[in-house]
Amino acid sequence: MEEEIIEIERYSEKEKYAVFDKEFMPHIDSMYNFAFRLTNDEDDANDLVQDTYLKAFRFINSFERGTNAKAWLFRILKNSFINDYRKKSKEPSKVDYQDVETTYNSVEDAEMDATTDLRTETVQDMIGDEVANALNSLPVDFRTVIILCDIEGFTYEEMAKILDIPIGTVRSRLHRARNLLKEKLKSYASSMGYKTDEMAEQD
Amino acid sequence: MQMIQAVLDGSASAAEVEHFKLHMDDCLPCIEGYKLEKSIKDALQVKMEKKCCPQSTVVDIRAKIGFGLVLLGFVVAEVKLYHLLFSC
Ligand SMILES: [Zn+2]
Repeated sequence: MEEEIIEIERYSEKEKYAVFDKEFMPHIDSMYNFAFRLTNDEDDANDLVQDTYLKAFRFINSFERGTNAKAWLFRILKNSFINDYRKKSKEPSKVDYQDVETTYNSVEDAEMDATTDLRTETVQDMIGDEVANALNSLPVDFRTVIILCDIEGFTYEEMAKILDIPIGTVRSRLHRARNLLKEKLKSYASSMGYKTDEMAEQD
Repeated sequence: MQMIQAVLDGSASAAEVEHFKLHMDDCLPCIEGYKLEKSIKDALQVKMEKKCCPQSTVVDIRAKIGFGLVLLGFVVAEVKLYHLLFSC
């Protein structure tokens, strides 16, 4: 955020509150859901959302009315999560993203084959909690792109802005995230006794 | 597969959509792939619970950025105005 501070006073005091109310507050449930999916904790999600909205108000002059408020807010929340929350997180320290990306780059071919036998019917039979568990088990950077794309419906272009990465990287990260999610869904499905291809072949 | 996903996500280029339509007519693996990707996307969108922000957090945020103070400001201004109009 800091690098985006614009010195001009775009809004009067009264306008600031109007913009905050009309453009920012309508997204608070989506923001909370995003925060909850990132942190897996209601208290942390509350802190993160509060933090983000206070920052948004502080930097409101760098928001241009009529532009994409939701993407702007999501970007602040994502940055707050990385800069503030992850440092003091109780979770065991996460693998650096670069490591994760390199690892999955090198195993991508093997990964492709391993994931193709998840069945559509299996996914359709699963309940929400099972899908949520599989999603939660992904490294946070992979989880993030899936949340932004599939749950919040952002376009690749919007995601590129929120995450500060090129669109090509959005595409490939999403692709890797989905491969990993398929693997998780598949192993989850077989552990829960859903029918998988190997079982089907034995019939 | 990345192209199938881009089409499904509504972020594919016009050329990719065109290519995909032509190709999908006779490629079983792609048809199956599309169905699977769509089922996962649907599961994430529809089946997972959407958490809502607690009202207490909304109230806290408003209090912290001073929505209360603004109201107080109006009251003070009105009192002053009242004094101005009626005290002399
Ligand atoms: Zn094909």
